[in-house]
Amino acid sequence: MVDEKKLQDKARETLSRDDVRRLIGWKRSTYGYEAAPAVLTDASEADQLIFDPTCVQNPASFISLEEKKPVPRGQEPDTRKIAVMVKGCDSRAIVQQLVEKAYNRDDVVVLGIPCIGVIDRRKAEKLFGETGKQVKAKVDKEKVAVDIGGDVKTVDRKDILMDKCLRCRYPNPLVSDFLLGDEVEKWADDDFADVDEFEKMTPEEKWKHWDEQLSKCIRCYSCKSVCPMCYCVECVVTQQKPQWTRRSTDISENAAYHLQRAWHLAGRCIECMECQRVCPVDIPIMELNRKMTREVKEMFDYEPGVDAEAEPLLASYNPQDPEDYIM
Amino acid sequence: MGDYKFAKDKLAEALSGLTDYEVFAPAAVGDVLRFKVVEDPASVSLDYDNTTVPPKELMFPQTETLFKYRLGQTDIEPTVPDASAKRAVVGIRPCDALAYTIVDNLYGWDFPDPYYQQRREATTLVGLACSDPCANCFCPSVGGAPASEKGLDALIFDLGDAYYVKTLTDKGEEFAKAAGLEAAGDAEAKAAAKQGEEALGKVQRSIDTAGIPEHLPELYDDKFWEQFSDRCLSCGICTFLCPTCHCFDIQDESEGFDSRRARMWDTCMFAEYTRHTSGHNPRPTRKERTRNRISHKYSYFPEKFDVIACVGCGRCINNCPVNIDIVDILEKSKQAGAKEAKTA
Repeated sequence: MVDEKKLQDKARETLSRDDVRRLIGWKRSTYGYEAAPAVLTDASEADQLIFDPTCVQNPASFISLEEKKPVPRGQEPDTRKIAVMVKGCDSRAIVQQLVEKAYNRDDVVVLGIPCIGVIDRRKAEKLFGETGKQVKAKVDKEKVAVDIGGDVKTVDRKDILMDKCLRCRYPNPLVSDFLLGDEVEKWADDDFADVDEFEKMTPEEKWKHWDEQLSKCIRCYSCKSVCPMCYCVECVVTQQKPQWTRRSTDISENAAYHLQRAWHLAGRCIECMECQRVCPVDIPIMELNRKMTREVKEMFDYEPGVDAEAEPLLASYNPQDPEDYIM
Repeated sequence: MGDYKFAKDKLAEALSGLTDYEVFAPAAVGDVLRFKVVEDPASVSLDYDNTTVPPKELMFPQTETLFKYRLGQTDIEPTVPDASAKRAVVGIRPCDALAYTIVDNLYGWDFPDPYYQQRREATTLVGLACSDPCANCFCPSVGGAPASEKGLDALIFDLGDAYYVKTLTDKGEEFAKAAGLEAAGDAEAKAAAKQGEEALGKVQRSIDTAGIPEHLPELYDDKFWEQFSDRCLSCGICTFLCPTCHCFDIQDESEGFDSRRARMWDTCMFAEYTRHTSGHNPRPTRKERTRNRISHKYSYFPEKFDVIACVGCGRCINNCPVNIDIVDILEKSKQAGAKEAKTA
């Protein structure tokens, strides 16, 4: 794992640069199994930064969350860079944002962190119960040691890590200006067993499943708000004039929202799982994204967020593209 | 009022007796709980912490038809709920019942809202006292308690092998009679009082609210808010899951000529909440929106109605994906003021 002292020193150095305006990483949260995203603007704050298996959030989500306020007459816009700390999975968001030209490569300083897994809060709560205490954690090739306010519990890595970690193919950042810590060995692979499992359901079972899951949706839009690939200034689902999606909540509007979201992420989702993590009513959103990921991979041999020079899937055309999906 | 009890395995029987009522109780889909109409009394369990979605939706549904009409015609068909159709909410936590008493101020203020008020009047609230407060509960700091009776018609205590029911109003008495509960004695009442005291001691978090309502406006333009808002996703979790948040939008919807005017939960955390028709937005960034959420609960609402619009249920803390923690914000707000004063 990365040495926290080294990480803080690098952050301090980065924040001291004249051409950097903010740095996004992680800091200890007030309670519980997840760290808090840290958005820092001053080098003196760098000692807040941490990295351990509680650092589940994707800092790349926060690049586009910063509002671009109108610049007062006579003033120049702040064009200084944003520094972002990223794990392997998070780095795919940066790559895909670059592919889509959300910003220029020069606009960001990427501090990469090799990672061998982060904790799933829901799994931790099932294992150890909810806690109001601050939590730290350590992970090695076998185990995760979870320190709940001084009380250390050790558990097998596979029992507590996020599902994305258990099929992680990119433990090392795919883009970075500085690598904090040594590269780690890939220890898992993705065989889409979860999608296979889902596809075993009959159409009736799937219908019932989604009816039950999507009926729960309260349309808080946390899934789209946290998604690093949902960076449109005006989202089609919240646009009021003209209005494409009704504000009323029912299975029809909820399903319309989630299907739009899934389609808009086809060939773009980098599977950081943030949408599913943040959902307050536990909708298994990734089931939709994972299915799309596999379709895209199998039909077009395309994987988003791995090559910054690639063309976006939906903006590229190959005469050999399959047409079977067109009814 | 009266003291009643019933054996734990008699819950379904008691609920079955409530034939005059539409009964609501916590129901689970996976790990997510929400109050639902009871269809099978045998499936109801009162062994739970709290619902993810607060029962505010029973008085103020997320989507509610106000009236129906046909395009091109001037007649409207009001859809105000019937106050005589009795409803019972069984197992509501004291914080969520307290929340109704706070929201009542708003819905009974300049325009008495018939939709909300009719439902409130028709509903009997049967609470369930907390014996094990959750990690982020802080109800005693904001006028509540694990066994608070405020806003309730009856309060159930889980005494291990039996439930003790303390009725608090006529509505509560009527409920106990309808459910066919047997009389309880002093022993149960004492055990319940003791449990309430003990639960109070188990609440882990607290905030001294003295001075906060007056102080927050002083931080209006302060950079203070940015340390929290910089990581805010601007999603609706904290407000939609808040039992006292009550904002709504009103929209018209049509299917062909059949139309309705409906209201839906809205949230000050969304950018479009304050966006004017001109495109101007007086709360253009997450800073203003975060400031508004906290200040509305802890300053603007108390200024107007003399009560803090927060019941300390902890839902906004538990469910925030980026650890925006209202207790932490309030605690730090006190120091922010002090620092400001020193440097000034």
